[in-house]
Amino acid sequence: MKYSAMLAAVGVLGAGAAFAEEPIKIGVLYPLTGGGAVYGVPAMAGHQLAVEELNAKGGILGRKIESVERDDKMNPSAASSTMKELITKDKVDIVLGGLSSAVGLSMSEVSKQEKVVYISTIPKTIQMTTDKLHKYVFRTAANTDQEGDAMALLAGRNKLAKICHLELDYAYGNDLEAGILKALPKYAPDAKIVLTLKPKLGATDFNPFIPQVMSAGCDGVLSGLWGPHFVSWVKQAAPLGFFNKVKWISGGEIGSHEIAGELKGDYPDNVISNTYELWYHANDPSHKEFQARLAKKLNTQETPQWAALGYIGVMYTAAAMEKAKSTKADDVAAALEGLTIGTPVGKLTIDAKSHQANIGQFWGPMVKKPDRAYRMMDPAEYIQPK
Amino acid sequence: MPQSRYLIASAIVILLLALLPLSGSRYAIDLTTEVLIYALFALSLNVLIGFTGNISFGHAAYFAIGGYGCAILLTTYNWPLAASLPAAVVLAGLVAAVVGYFCVRLTQIYFAMLTLAFAMLVWGVAFKWKEVTGGDDGFTGIKMPELLTSPVAYFYFTLAMVTVGVAALWVICHSAFGLTLVAVRENSVRAGFIGIDTRRMRWAAFTVAGAFGGLAGALFGMYHRGMYIENAFWTESANVLIMVLLGGIYSFIGPIIGAAVLHLLQTFTNQYTPYWPTVLGLILLVIVMVLPDGLIGLVSRVRARWGRA
Repeated sequence: MKYSAMLAAVGVLGAGAAFAEEPIKIGVLYPLTGGGAVYGVPAMAGHQLAVEELNAKGGILGRKIESVERDDKMNPSAASSTMKELITKDKVDIVLGGLSSAVGLSMSEVSKQEKVVYISTIPKTIQMTTDKLHKYVFRTAANTDQEGDAMALLAGRNKLAKICHLELDYAYGNDLEAGILKALPKYAPDAKIVLTLKPKLGATDFNPFIPQVMSAGCDGVLSGLWGPHFVSWVKQAAPLGFFNKVKWISGGEIGSHEIAGELKGDYPDNVISNTYELWYHANDPSHKEFQARLAKKLNTQETPQWAALGYIGVMYTAAAMEKAKSTKADDVAAALEGLTIGTPVGKLTIDAKSHQANIGQFWGPMVKKPDRAYRMMDPAEYIQPK
Repeated sequence: MPQSRYLIASAIVILLLALLPLSGSRYAIDLTTEVLIYALFALSLNVLIGFTGNISFGHAAYFAIGGYGCAILLTTYNWPLAASLPAAVVLAGLVAAVVGYFCVRLTQIYFAMLTLAFAMLVWGVAFKWKEVTGGDDGFTGIKMPELLTSPVAYFYFTLAMVTVGVAALWVICHSAFGLTLVAVRENSVRAGFIGIDTRRMRWAAFTVAGAFGGLAGALFGMYHRGMYIENAFWTESANVLIMVLLGGIYSFIGPIIGAAVLHLLQTFTNQYTPYWPTVLGLILLVIVMVLPDGLIGLVSRVRARWGRA
């Protein structure tokens, strides 16, 4: 009884008085605690950087931007509740963020119900822009088909004949596998997959898998082991000379500086991987300034790649609202379709039909540098989907 | 007797809740819907904990089975709600009966560990059976009857279902069966000597708890239009256990209060800081050190101290 009265009071306060010059509210959810925080915290920093920059220039449509930031806890139901709260209590105009596939899909579901635009800035699950596509969901991250396509292309270029395929046994791994298998006949028609192994998500012991791959006689590995999985694999496999014998072509952004900086001298040879952004390499003149500001905000020269994704989400929000001259969900959704903007990683366009941005990734071999303690991607090639 | 007093008090609470949509606040409606669902979930667990004295670490399993069951029947098989909701509750009850059959052979910590093991099995099935449950992408896009698509309509539906659930649990807990459970809890050896089949009683309680947990899960899934494997994970079982302990296990309404307080606290904390686990840790510490009988126990102790007004 008491709490319902309290709630009613909160609700009335939340509704508030409407001012003519109310700020534009952007709701954002990233994992800020637990295992996902390594990605969510830098993404949030990029998000904040974009909001600060826009506000310094007068905001969107002459209105200040207020960013309402929450932890998604990597839990889809919690993310769903929190997103509803942002919409009904904080009255946000748009919602950005997410990291895991399930959180992305749960946020997309809320966006569909509540008719509020959601821009997925990190989740890659292909379902979001295919079977479960709806009017209000957009994606500025890559998807597993695009990533798989690039990996197949690199397998072809490196003339892999016998391939070992390693994927983590969960949504992202299975989707990426499907993406690779779809594209492989196109780029490497003669390549054969001789072995497919699927370690568990969160696995730390790869000793049962390493000898299998080594004895399968493959000349290359296509891998979806990201972050800590790759680090564990390297620590267990490198002492056996694993990386002398195979080319390791990997998705999951292990070409990012975060991983290179973590492994330092232990980072193995023969790895070709991807990253959304590199602090030391640019394909667009605006990157330099973006990176400098980010470095200042994070107080480190070697900035993480995830910040760019948070940043791009806000840039798209601003561009869409300016184009629509409105913050209404229907207008913003219509404006986002086919919208092209300049970003620190070059010009991006959101496809009008699939709601998917043609964001590319930098791909290349990770090589030693004489004056650095960590490896760097060189040459870095920006592979952008058509 | 207090019986009629309780009835009047509950009628007033339900009436006030029913008037909530008049406030016009969508947020209050959503939040109350969530609290109602968690209240039923916690209450169902207390049939086991408070009344039978068995601590289950795997109650989320039945919540998830109810949720997934209802979601899949509604969406994949296009069943009407009137059939899928009861079917989901029955399914959760049946699974609880099967699991309970094995669990009640053990007591105390062994019982608790076995419930945990079975719950992780359910989690594993939800994770691996991708064609049916959607795996770790979750099962989204639950088809709802037109009638319940508005948040206010769904709130009334939840209020009605939870009221029915709570009333049914009240009747069950205060029947001869419920009192027998208390006897088993208090002294299972002596209860056995007076002719009670204690194992069967605990088995029945396990099934009842599972079925009502399933009802809460079905309501939860439809509210979010999605079920996720995280809903079957042990952390979810721990969460509901804390709700029950916080409210007080030896009182019927304790878990309801516990669910409301914990969920609201979590929601409001999350608006200011992501460090909810720290707050939760402190709450647990307080429960264990000062409030072994929960908030309800605290209220009655304060009352006893200051004399009844």
